Amino acid sequence: MTKILTIAWKDLRSTARNAPALAMMLLAPLALAALLGFAFGGGGGFDIAATEVAVANLDQGPTAVGESAGAAVAGILGSPGLKDVLSVQKKGDAAAARAAVDDGKDAVAVIIPADFSTVIYGGSPLAKTQVELYENPTQEIGGAIAEGVVGQALLEFNGARAAAAGALALRSQGDPPAAVLAKRAAQQFTHAGGVTAGLDISQRTPRLPGDQKTKDVSVTGAILAGMMVFFMFFGAANVARTILDEDRAGTLPRLFTTPTSYGVILGGKFASVFVTVMIQAVILLVAGRLIFSIDWGRLDAVVLLTLVAAGVASGLALLVISLTRTPAQAGAIGAGVYLVLALAGGNFTGTAQAGGTFGIVQKFTPNGWLLQGWDATMRGGGSADIRWQLLVPLGFAVAFFFVAVLRIRRRFA
Amino acid sequence: MSIVEVQELRKQYDPPKGVLAVDGVSFDIAGGEIFSLLGPNGAGKSTTISMLSCLLRPSGGDACVAGHSVVTEAQAVKEVIGVVPQDIALYPDMSARENLLFWGRMYGLSGEALKKRVDEILELITLVDRQKDRVEKFSGGMKRRVNIGVALLHKPKVLYLDEPTVGIDPQSRRSILDGILALRDQGMTILYTTHYMAEAQELSDRIGIVDHGRMIATGTHEELVKVVGEEARVTARVDHYLEGMAERWREVKGVEKVDLEEDEAVLVTQDPNEVLPRLFEAAAAAGARITEINVTEPNLEMVFLHLTGRALRE
Repeated sequence: MTKILTIAWKDLRSTARNAPALAMMLLAPLALAALLGFAFGGGGGFDIAATEVAVANLDQGPTAVGESAGAAVAGILGSPGLKDVLSVQKKGDAAAARAAVDDGKDAVAVIIPADFSTVIYGGSPLAKTQVELYENPTQEIGGAIAEGVVGQALLEFNGARAAAAGALALRSQGDPPAAVLAKRAAQQFTHAGGVTAGLDISQRTPRLPGDQKTKDVSVTGAILAGMMVFFMFFGAANVARTILDEDRAGTLPRLFTTPTSYGVILGGKFASVFVTVMIQAVILLVAGRLIFSIDWGRLDAVVLLTLVAAGVASGLALLVISLTRTPAQAGAIGAGVYLVLALAGGNFTGTAQAGGTFGIVQKFTPNGWLLQGWDATMRGGGSADIRWQLLVPLGFAVAFFFVAVLRIRRRFA
Repeated sequence: MSIVEVQELRKQYDPPKGVLAVDGVSFDIAGGEIFSLLGPNGAGKSTTISMLSCLLRPSGGDACVAGHSVVTEAQAVKEVIGVVPQDIALYPDMSARENLLFWGRMYGLSGEALKKRVDEILELITLVDRQKDRVEKFSGGMKRRVNIGVALLHKPKVLYLDEPTVGIDPQSRRSILDGILALRDQGMTILYTTHYMAEAQELSDRIGIVDHGRMIATGTHEELVKVVGEEARVTARVDHYLEGMAERWREVKGVEKVDLEEDEAVLVTQDPNEVLPRLFEAAAAAGARITEINVTEPNLEMVFLHLTGRALRE
């Protein structure tokens, strides 16, 4: 153990004396997060993919007095004009629609009630019903778009109902001229349509991890989380590359001539990489809090996510080192691996909950899971709520480490 | 009694078609002895040391160091050896003292014992005054001394030195050679590799001459020199007509052999004092003038030339 700590301490001191590496590890993520955060206004979220929407149209219409209003709403959601922002999947019932959201396949479920057409076309101004929006609260923009579209459709229906009711009321008072009727209907549409709404949206959310009240995540927070994970990979790679540097400098072979086992030497190297990226993460977390006022979330979740992220970064760095022979190779191949992972995992998009193909691809990357974890944590989730976001990356870390150790031992043995 | 016993040691990189760097080398080193492996670059000296250091696994054969096999008891071997690699293997951003402390811990030392030993080594390598300076600021000779000091921290029974004087100034070389002799006098067993004949001759109790991965001769300096008999070597340069002169010198009485090496003729003779006047006479008769002439008494380089047909420096 003493030897492991000695090797780790030696490497840590060496890293601390390497100013360019420190700048890369600490200043670059902060600067990028600041720039991108300011560019996006610092608040709210953003997304890049079309929101997946599950539509369960339970409407029993059409009725004798009109067409199916539910089909009309579903048609609007799936209209070609909205295909870039909404991707609609039809579901047979409400449970299936909600399950799609619960499973993370869809961001929002729109459940049109069975009495939807009846309420609209039934002629009773007192009749009410609600369209249910079942939203994943972590996909704010997607939910807002769906809510906006459905809300606009309901507004139109409500306005029409109000106009019709107004016209009917006027008609009952005599036989006014058509122009007066039209004016009255328009006034009712404009002023009473939204207020006396018989049609409303019922918003529900799935049970989030921990069922806690969710909080908004700032753009800067989301970006810094992505940048932090991304630059932890680079930070780890930078320290792990000392294995190849030492091999070339002759100090690693010399270490192997001392009565120190391969496992201890590699353990010391892993410890130095791990501690370095832990320190890097802590500095970035504190800086994010102090400079950008980012609320990272509950301490238990933050600590565990940081530890797991450091483990993934260290394991991956050692794996890259084990696959390369020179520092230049490690730099080039490592950069490629980290960039691909960052692109696939969502480090650059600032969103942890992507839908569609991107969401699927994200699940094959450790950083994608980590970002989901950070997103949930910043929304108030605790460690129990992000267990999969901890366990899956931990699995990646363990796999990376063992493959790396096997390869490195084989090379130097 | 032998403390190092090497038996048919063999190393082939990337078998079966890779380079055969060491081809069945065998030798023994007695306790308290300096044994030098002498040979040109690429002869297999460093590969042999790497196998004896448990850095490389032999493709065949074995070696025992202090009774432990380098193949099956690597950890035990590492406890009793100190290795001075050919290139400086230190951390340049750490001071001399920090380097010694780090390597001392790697050899299992700790606490006061470590500090005391580091102080002793700093005294030994005469760097007490510069102990807090970073190694990167040191001269080549000073780095070499720290490089050697590291290998002495745990008082090894056997010290391997792989060409420790390459690329340093004469003063530092002298200091290192004196230090090695002092270590031998203290009872340490030393395996020394070099391609400098003079170093091997000065330091060694016994010498092994290696070439192309094979041990071609072993023995004391005197024993090896006997291989070439009492022949002396004369190298001569002339102002022109070297090839023609070489032909004429072959006819001179007392000259046993003449070779051409670049711009000089290399002659072998039993009695240079008798032959030299004849060489001048022959040159004058041919209208040539000798511009430089050197006489070398029998030495290891001649042994190597005799055994391989090539000069050691090639």
